[in-house]
Amino acid sequence: MSQSSEEGKKFSSVFREKIPVVGSLEVLMPYIIIGLAAVAIIVSVTITPSFLTADNIRAILRNASIVGIVAVAMTPVTLSGNFVSLAISQSAMLAMVSYVALLGAGWHQAPAILIVIVGLIIVGVIQGFIVAAGLNPIITTLAAGAIIFGVVSEMTGGWIVLAGENFVAWGSSNVVGIPIQVLIFLVFTVLVTLLMSRTVIGRETMLVGANRATAQIGGISFTRVTVIAFVIFSVGLAIAGVLNGAAFGQATAVSFPALTIDVIAALLVGGTAIQGGQGSPLRSAGGALLISVISNMMVLNDFSSGGRLAVQGGVVVVVVVLLDQLRRRQVMRL
Amino acid sequence: MIKSIVARFRPYALPLAVLIITWIVIAVITPTFRGTGSFYAVLEGFPLIGIVTLGLAVTIIAGELDLSVGSMAALAATIAVLTTPVGLVGCVLIATSMGIVFGAVQGMLIARLQINSLVFTIGTLILLRGLTYIFSGHAPIVISNIEITDVLLDRYGIFSVRSIVAIVVFVIAGLFLTYTRWGREIFAIGGARNEAIAAGVPRVRPLAVSFAISAGCASLAGALAAMLGGSASPQNYEDLLLSAAAAALLGGISLYGGRGTVLNVALGVAVLSLVGAGLAARGSSASLVQLVTGGLLLAMIAIEFLAGRLTLQSSIFRRSAR
Repeated sequence: MSQSSEEGKKFSSVFREKIPVVGSLEVLMPYIIIGLAAVAIIVSVTITPSFLTADNIRAILRNASIVGIVAVAMTPVTLSGNFVSLAISQSAMLAMVSYVALLGAGWHQAPAILIVIVGLIIVGVIQGFIVAAGLNPIITTLAAGAIIFGVVSEMTGGWIVLAGENFVAWGSSNVVGIPIQVLIFLVFTVLVTLLMSRTVIGRETMLVGANRATAQIGGISFTRVTVIAFVIFSVGLAIAGVLNGAAFGQATAVSFPALTIDVIAALLVGGTAIQGGQGSPLRSAGGALLISVISNMMVLNDFSSGGRLAVQGGVVVVVVVLLDQLRRRQVMRL
Repeated sequence: MIKSIVARFRPYALPLAVLIITWIVIAVITPTFRGTGSFYAVLEGFPLIGIVTLGLAVTIIAGELDLSVGSMAALAATIAVLTTPVGLVGCVLIATSMGIVFGAVQGMLIARLQINSLVFTIGTLILLRGLTYIFSGHAPIVISNIEITDVLLDRYGIFSVRSIVAIVVFVIAGLFLTYTRWGREIFAIGGARNEAIAAGVPRVRPLAVSFAISAGCASLAGALAAMLGGSASPQNYEDLLLSAAAAALLGGISLYGGRGTVLNVALGVAVLSLVGAGLAARGSSASLVQLVTGGLLLAMIAIEFLAGRLTLQSSIFRRSAR
């Protein structure tokens, strides 16, 4: 008798970990982010009349898109239980510098972009294999970032890399009135979200992140999942670098100075759990949009850059604590 | 007896070997980097990176990570410069105590909310950076009565006032962590949190103490650096986290919590400082220092990982260390 109640306890404790993944909170979470964004927008509209103009909305979306693309791309890494990368700025910078340098060397657009994507994937896959072997992802990517920065700075000698005189600034063009970054952000978000929710590899990523031991017993390769997550991440980084390179036509080893922090903030505010297993690329996109809306509102209301940073940090702390507490409540109730 | 001595020094063997080999290599290839001058240069790494690493290492030992140390140092530097009218010691103390209070509150919140410290401190990292810009008025600020900082330029053999301060802080931290109840609690909560709490270790106090130490150390380091330089800039110290994390891990502080001592921190800082000073003596750029640091860090965690794998088979208890 006592043994069976012991069994029952074990059973329910397994479910305690499982149910939140499919429970009501998981359904609720995107609405919380959307709700917060809605509140931010309503407040913005009431206190700032110029908020709801086409130009301003375009600006918000454009500001959100680079951070959003990378946050969406990194979500599979986080979902698979590999925390976050601390080499985001440096990797995007590598993509931007090499793209601009290739153009400057007289390459055509398509092969240059292809080379950048392949190059970034190689760098990402190396990190993926190291992490999958069991080394700490935070420290591995920290070291990788330092190495990438060191190599690029040594190669460029600290100088600005230029795309040359035949440069076409397609990165700042619009397609039917929508900035090209925004379109790519949209398409990329849809693709990665579908990949995570509708394919076998996506489901495997979620399971590995939620419970690595169970997933491995179930025959899922942690190495495969991790490496694929890093491939997706690298593609996003390459796109971000190419887009900025195509917008500015020049790059240095210190491009993208704040990207690492911005991307991690967007991902966390979106509600993806840092321990993995819970979250979605769509939410990271939402997080990037929310931060962009709030910071745009502050720009329109003449906040200083320090004030904007302080508020952004405060928002990250509050939202992250709120989501964490909700998640915890949900687990307790079940 | 010999076995216990060997076991005692085992955690320091790898970083010590790295330190000695790096030192020999750099001294051989760099004629300008020999003698007492090189010791002075390495010790000069301790006041900034050393003290920050010490604080960060305490949070790693507690099983957490304080990502906000860089922003904290920048804020403390600004506050120290703003409060210079009260004197050199006074303004450093004001900045440091402000850091300690902030860190204690941060640690208390992390413990009470039971939230992942990585997630929480990334928010405070942004928040503190914003406050730094606000306090400094979005521009670098300078000390008006610069003559009060002259004492920091004094040199005693291979020591400076700042490196002596750093050594004193290291000794105090070492004694605190090893011999006091509050210090031991940090190791217990980092090594095996649930077991420690079940055994009666409070949940909140060790985290509040360790985050107070990390923010306090970062503030002290930032304030001292600002006093030496005579100015504070709001965008300073963004890469301090990389250096501090690298130094802590190079020294052999285990990322899995509960392991490592002040001696590990000192060895790690010495390696990092040696690489920086040695390459600077050769006229190398700062980016090459980063490159070498990254390479060393990667090599170090790979060696630690492989060593852990090899000994796993012989000792089941090592598993808890991973």
